[in-house]
Amino acid sequence: MIWILMFFILIVNQANSQLKNQRCFVCHGVKNFGIVEQGKFKSLYVSKEDFEASVHSKFACVSCHVDVRVIPHLTKPQKIHCLQCHFEGNVVGAPVAAKPEKYKESVHARALAKGKNAPDCKDCHTIHYVRKPEDPNSSVYKTKIPELCGRCHQTIKEGYYNSIHWTGITRGELSAAVCSDCHREHDILPPEDPRSSLNPKNVVGTCEKCHSDVKLMKRVGIPVKNPEAYKESFHGIALKFGVVRAANCASCHGYHDVLPSRDPRSPIHPANLAKTCGKCHPRANENVAKGKFHVLPSEKESGIVYYVYTFFKWFTLIVLVGLFTHIVLDLVGHIRRKRKTTGE
Amino acid sequence: MDPKKEAEKLIEEMEAEKGITLDAEFREKLKNEIAEKIKSEIERKKREAKRKVEKEGEEYFIRFSLNIRLQHLTLAIGVILLIITGLPIKFHESKIAELFFDLIGGIQVSRILHRIGAAMLIFVSIWHTIYIAFTEEGRNEFKELLPRKKDFLDFWQNIKYMLGKTNERPKYGRYSYIEKFDYWAVYWGVVIMVLSGLILWFHNFFLGIFPKFVFDIAKEAHSDEAMLATLAIVIWHWYNAHFNPHIFPFNPTIFTGKISKERMIREHPLEYERIMKEKLTREEKSDER
Repeated sequence: MIWILMFFILIVNQANSQLKNQRCFVCHGVKNFGIVEQGKFKSLYVSKEDFEASVHSKFACVSCHVDVRVIPHLTKPQKIHCLQCHFEGNVVGAPVAAKPEKYKESVHARALAKGKNAPDCKDCHTIHYVRKPEDPNSSVYKTKIPELCGRCHQTIKEGYYNSIHWTGITRGELSAAVCSDCHREHDILPPEDPRSSLNPKNVVGTCEKCHSDVKLMKRVGIPVKNPEAYKESFHGIALKFGVVRAANCASCHGYHDVLPSRDPRSPIHPANLAKTCGKCHPRANENVAKGKFHVLPSEKESGIVYYVYTFFKWFTLIVLVGLFTHIVLDLVGHIRRKRKTTGE
Repeated sequence: MDPKKEAEKLIEEMEAEKGITLDAEFREKLKNEIAEKIKSEIERKKREAKRKVEKEGEEYFIRFSLNIRLQHLTLAIGVILLIITGLPIKFHESKIAELFFDLIGGIQVSRILHRIGAAMLIFVSIWHTIYIAFTEEGRNEFKELLPRKKDFLDFWQNIKYMLGKTNERPKYGRYSYIEKFDYWAVYWGVVIMVLSGLILWFHNFFLGIFPKFVFDIAKEAHSDEAMLATLAIVIWHWYNAHFNPHIFPFNPTIFTGKISKERMIREHPLEYERIMKEKLTREEKSDER
């Protein structure tokens, strides 16, 4: 390992006094600053402006790089980890609302532990320029997430860019789902894991986060009762009680490239329904498109089913009121006669 | 009670009363004789009591044949099975539904039980159709169950009776209008439940035949009619058959076939009269012979 130090000007301070960031930038603020490591140039440049716009701007470099005591430091500083501060119950006030510690259980952390190429914190959040997710310049700003995940998951990214969710984002509807809305941010788990947001048992809950939101669904013009009606269906009930082969949302709608039924590419387009239902129901044909989907019988839109529902509602009510009256009359009559005979 | 001791006591009492002492040999003889008498008297009393019980036992009528009883039993078990495995699906949001599926071993087990119940219901429907079409007894029962003008008059009379406007109960024949209502309600229920149920059961087969909305209608009708039938059975049928004050808490007639003379006279006076008349003419005929 060869070390090449490009600049060396400053007076060496003694150990205990805190090093000002200014001093670090004397070297690290120079664009070409770097080393050759294993025959490759490795930049050690940190943009001062970008760092000062980050959430960590108030911190000293040495707050994280605690092993840098003197400048110039002659050894390579130890690797630092974000979870040094971002753990539940930390005293420095590092935010943990998004549960960064859960990263340790995620597919990414597990792959990394096996020595595979997988992202950790810095790959998504950057190292020195971490910004809040709400900040449009943040690496994890909503509109940038598909590109961020797509750096590795390329084919999925392309599929997603065809979806109605991405169309929503491009039209400025920032509530539309990106990767992290369904897969979650830190605790990304494989679908086989029962804790995963995409486990068959949890898929409905994941879609429902947005699709049962009355305000949001009204804004984007999608019926809000779809998840509720699904839960009343045989598929929904079977799934709820553990029959995971029963169809969930994604079984019919697809997932990354989800499209509305009006789009001819959509698996739920009337012309494609026979094939989609046919995945489980081998005899399905064009008949399956003749009817309404995800409509509660109590709603007028359900057409003939609504009238069946209404007929039975009134029929049951009238019959039972009649039968109940007959029973009450019989009981009252019986009691009256009994009282008369014992009274005499 | 030992007859010999009793006899001894009697003799002692008599001796004390008259102030005499009997000859030992005669005394022994007398004692044996009295004991014998007491013994036979006790036995006679016992026989008489037994005969009385037997006679009371004879005061029953056979109301339902074994065939009817078995049909009802199959129907009852099938329907109860259908209700307890069906309701948790209708009320899947409730805690009880979760508890039930946990208890029974999952929704898949419940599905199988529901289909066993369904098979019983379908089986008994076919059985009953054959019964009323091809057996003498079945045809007669069916005729008795057909609604007629008298049922509406009975209904009106019963309303007046229940309200206390009259003291005369309607005189029912073999089947009251309440029983006829129950019988015909089963037709309505079975037709709807079996048709919609078969569509849902064999949905993979029917998917190739019916449009999707037929399945939606079948599901809705199955669910709603199930509710109506359950409430009608639990509230109406169980009240009239079992829980009403005359018979509470349980009426065994449909299971044993037997009905007491007293209940026969009260509940089916016209049938009682008819049976008695028939009996009388039979006896007269045999007397003539």
